[in-house]
Amino acid sequence: MTIRSSSQVSRWKLPRRFPVPKRFGVSKDSRIEQGRHWPAPTGAKRIKTFQIYRYDPESGRNPRLDTYEVDLDDCGPMVLDALIWIKSKVDSTLTFRRSCREGVCGSCAMTIDGTNWLACTRFVSQTAGTASIYPLANFPVIKDLVPDQAHALAQYALIEPWLKTSEPPPQQERLQSVADRKRLDGYYECILCFCCTSGCPSHWWNGERFLGPAVLLQAWRWLTDSRDDAKGERLDALEDPFRLYRCHTILNCTRTCPKGLNPGKAIAEIKRMMLERTL
Amino acid sequence: MRPRSPNIQNYRPQLTSVLSIANRFTAVISTVAIVAFVAWLVAAAVGPQSYDSMHAAAASPVGRALLVVATFAFFLHLCGSVRHLFWDAVAGFELRTIYASGWAALAASVALTAGAWLIGFWVRS
Amino acid sequence: MSAAPGPAPSGSARARGLGSARRGTGAWRAERVTAIALVPLTLWLVASLVALGRADRTAFVAWLGRPLHGFLTILLLIAVFRHTALGLQVIIEDYVHSAAKTPLLLLIHLLCFAICVAGVLATLGIMFAS
Repeated sequence: MTIRSSSQVSRWKLPRRFPVPKRFGVSKDSRIEQGRHWPAPTGAKRIKTFQIYRYDPESGRNPRLDTYEVDLDDCGPMVLDALIWIKSKVDSTLTFRRSCREGVCGSCAMTIDGTNWLACTRFVSQTAGTASIYPLANFPVIKDLVPDQAHALAQYALIEPWLKTSEPPPQQERLQSVADRKRLDGYYECILCFCCTSGCPSHWWNGERFLGPAVLLQAWRWLTDSRDDAKGERLDALEDPFRLYRCHTILNCTRTCPKGLNPGKAIAEIKRMMLERTL
Repeated sequence: MRPRSPNIQNYRPQLTSVLSIANRFTAVISTVAIVAFVAWLVAAAVGPQSYDSMHAAAASPVGRALLVVATFAFFLHLCGSVRHLFWDAVAGFELRTIYASGWAALAASVALTAGAWLIGFWVRS
Repeated sequence: MSAAPGPAPSGSARARGLGSARRGTGAWRAERVTAIALVPLTLWLVASLVALGRADRTAFVAWLGRPLHGFLTILLLIAVFRHTALGLQVIIEDYVHSAAKTPLLLLIHLLCFAICVAGVLATLGIMFAS
């Protein structure tokens, strides 16, 4: 089951934010200030309000929250379409990543109404009355909605996401049974958007050392690949109170994956494999 | 220094994260409860005077209220932990099941707390 | 203060840190094993305390003095304090990143052990005095 909108999961509404002070643990440089208001063009009938996080590294000022009024009759149905409309019609300085506009590249991952998703697959009609758009949670911000994913990608490189075999390469392709190939389903499809890692509270508090769900899901993808020989080495590299065991099965990751994948389950499989080699 | 995008200040609470932090809170409350239980044992071992003063404190309205809170916290932690044990056995990871088991754990802990206290009152009478 | 120098500027060195500790499964397993043991033990304890109700000291001592009850109580104390120590360690590792972490972890483990011993001795005392 993929969550397509927050109304799909439960009719009970939890509060919009955790009851912590608005500035809880926020460094001075990260404090968000009130920003500009950009009204809708005259004659617009269906107007939707977006509150968008803005940050200009060259201004020397703190990030701010700008309010945009979008003419829904003039723009496409997805949140990404609204962002492109704003950039082309209202404020060309709005900066964000995007590429495929169909939910397969992972570029436009952002925090929409407090939940991580791809902007190109989130309908505007599924957002709150005043939609809030922030860059992916808990990442350093390069500009506006563009997060700095360097550390997350370095953690990905750490798990050595390539085939490791001790035998010389065969003359033909490495054969794999249908059953073995099925073991990769649900893991190879990851587009590395980092929605899951960004939504993981354990990664918020320990992101320096905890690898996070995206990286661990890929680690499982290689551990479960029958053609890979280096399971022992991979498990050794993961067996660490921080790298793997900061995961407490909070499951925000599975809840938020825009591709319907299950990082929580992948991590449980890794832990089971870890246990197996001690018994 | 680049600013950091907000995390807990902005990210929406979900059943997943709320029940998880509840499991942690109830763990800490249960720790206090078990330490109180050890104090109870030591008071019983030491003699009637110390036991009676602990007993009086537990029977007081404040003590009674704390006991209700402690039993609810314990049962919530128990049900949450059973849910965790299923996950450790790599079972129940489909999103529908995660949500269903979450609500079930919450309902079960309320039922167990109410049941324990009702039976307690019935035993006394 | 940690023995290692501060976070490295380079992405790869920063991600690699001090390398994998190559342990952690033992603690994870022990927390689950004690949890499994604690499910029946704590349910038994809560049920017994509910049944005891407003028991005065004589009744409580008579109840605890029975060998089976004393035995289960001691099993529960050992399991619960092992579980608690492991769980509190995880909580502190999650939230405390300063120099206070190591002494705090030490304190937690020592306190859990000491309180467990106090409980076991109290139980034995009650069992053998009655």
